[in-house]
Amino acid sequence: MKNNRNKKKKLRALLILFIVLAIIIMIFLFGSRKEKIRHERGADRTDQVTGKKADLPMKQVTLFFLSDTDGLLHPEEREIPESDLSGEARAVVEELIKGPQTGLMRIIPENTRVRQLFVTADGLAYVDLSRQVTEANFYGSSGEMAVVYSIVDSLAYNFKAIKKVSLLIEGNERETLGGHVDLSNPFQPDYSLIAR
Amino acid sequence: MMPRYIKIFLTLILVASLGLASVPGSLQAKAPAGAKATPVIKVTVEDSPEVTRVKISGSSNLVYNLKKSSDWLIVTFRALAGLKLEKSPFTSQVVKSVDLAKSPEAYLLIIKAVSPDFSFSHSIRKSPFELTIDLKLKNRVAAKETKPVETPAKTPPPASGQVNPPPAVNQSVERAGQGLTSSQSEKKAFKTIVIDPGHGGIETGAKGNYGTLEKDITLEVAKKLKERIEGDLKYRVVITREADVVVGLERRAAVANNNKADLFISIHANGSKRAKARGSETYFLSLNATDEESRRLAYFENNSGELENRLGEQDFDDLKLILWDMAQSAYLKQSSQLADFVQNQLNQLLNTQNRGIKQAPFKVLTGVACPAILVEIAFITNPEEEKKLQSEEFQTQVAEAIYQGLSQYFQLYEKP
Repeated sequence: MKNNRNKKKKLRALLILFIVLAIIIMIFLFGSRKEKIRHERGADRTDQVTGKKADLPMKQVTLFFLSDTDGLLHPEEREIPESDLSGEARAVVEELIKGPQTGLMRIIPENTRVRQLFVTADGLAYVDLSRQVTEANFYGSSGEMAVVYSIVDSLAYNFKAIKKVSLLIEGNERETLGGHVDLSNPFQPDYSLIAR
Repeated sequence: MMPRYIKIFLTLILVASLGLASVPGSLQAKAPAGAKATPVIKVTVEDSPEVTRVKISGSSNLVYNLKKSSDWLIVTFRALAGLKLEKSPFTSQVVKSVDLAKSPEAYLLIIKAVSPDFSFSHSIRKSPFELTIDLKLKNRVAAKETKPVETPAKTPPPASGQVNPPPAVNQSVERAGQGLTSSQSEKKAFKTIVIDPGHGGIETGAKGNYGTLEKDITLEVAKKLKERIEGDLKYRVVITREADVVVGLERRAAVANNNKADLFISIHANGSKRAKARGSETYFLSLNATDEESRRLAYFENNSGELENRLGEQDFDDLKLILWDMAQSAYLKQSSQLADFVQNQLNQLLNTQNRGIKQAPFKVLTGVACPAILVEIAFITNPEEEKKLQSEEFQTQVAEAIYQGLSQYFQLYEKP
């Protein structure tokens, strides 16, 4: 009798132990995955902010800026940290906003921010800019063309996966930047505006 | 003993993992099924002695827009997720057919009437959505209601951009016959030229260093051009704005289309970040053609001739609708020729640098259904040219140059 009771007690204790163990294992298995992702992202961010750090792989890209001499877009090489497609595309637009390092012109209005950038599976990049991009005195036809196509051409030139670019302002569709170039349809690159 | 514990242990893990795994799985499976169902509209048509009533009831509230175009009444629905039409069979003295078509941005319900001479009024009820449209044939009622055509009609083309929320209740729209007899005879005698002074109101356009605003220059030049053309008594002129007011870009195209324009000329002064940028250039539309658009365009280019004459009445009816938001694509050749003539005259008459004819995706040109150009007279952001642009003399010269260019175009392309 006693023996039997002891056996039952042991069994119950073991059962509870196993359940607890199983739950811990499950939490470990499922919980750890999320944490891993968060770690990766965290690392990524700090690296972008601090720029070149340690042996972070960099990628060379070509940016197009307006030239004061001929009014055409000219290339300038730049290094950006390697990342996923939308991350790299975002870095390209941010570099365009920062402006050129050689004698070319900075055309995207100051203080413009990239609010969001994402690329759809069929190659349409949505570039969502803050409203500052619409605030410029020089927005005649030529001025608007230069701003739009420096972004569109730079993105399409560097990333094969980007076929078209759509510009959004503060998250919304907008007709034009300043009354000329139509923003309501996505842009395909126009390399005729680039100096040969 | 041991094998039994192991068995229990394994079963536990199995049950636990199954339970956990099934949670995200079931969520995923539910999401698409739970997404909004495609909205459905039900359409009924009923004749009464007074009017013909078309009732459109929707399964959800819809953003719509009404537009009459010859013998169609087009209801544009902004429904991106899709739209289904359920119609009950009907016989009507006024309505010939009701069909649903899809344009890139919207669904179009096409109500085809037996003749273009009808008027309509509509009322709306929400939740549940019910749009009631009453159609009335005109020739039966007051046949003579000839208003001058001068004022542009209200409805913009159902192009891209926002569709305004519908105005509330029971709005009569009486622009059906629109002085048909007078405008038609007028049209035979005179070509209609629509002049579009760029910008206006708070939309100032580019600014010069001395504070000159693009909108003021464009208006001055447009007025001088209007005067010049009218002085010749050869053409009829409609201007998209006569004062310093905001006029939407789609509205400008609508003014041209509603006035059955033969030419559309948008006047602008250029702006660039480069202070030394200078010279004149003339633009016509470039489509930032997506694959679908280029296919459509190719189709029309292969079927050359005027948009209206290209296809049989039936085919054309359907296609024109879909093409409406890209109306200009059918006139690119003529537009480039017009640009060429005008640019040549600018070069000859003005002492500005020739920047040539160019193509760009300008919003104001996309919806215009006739040859259309945008003239950039000179750079307002170049101090030297800004001064020029301010001078009356220069403005008059510009008007003369544009006028010479367009009359040359007409002389060459006018068919007797």
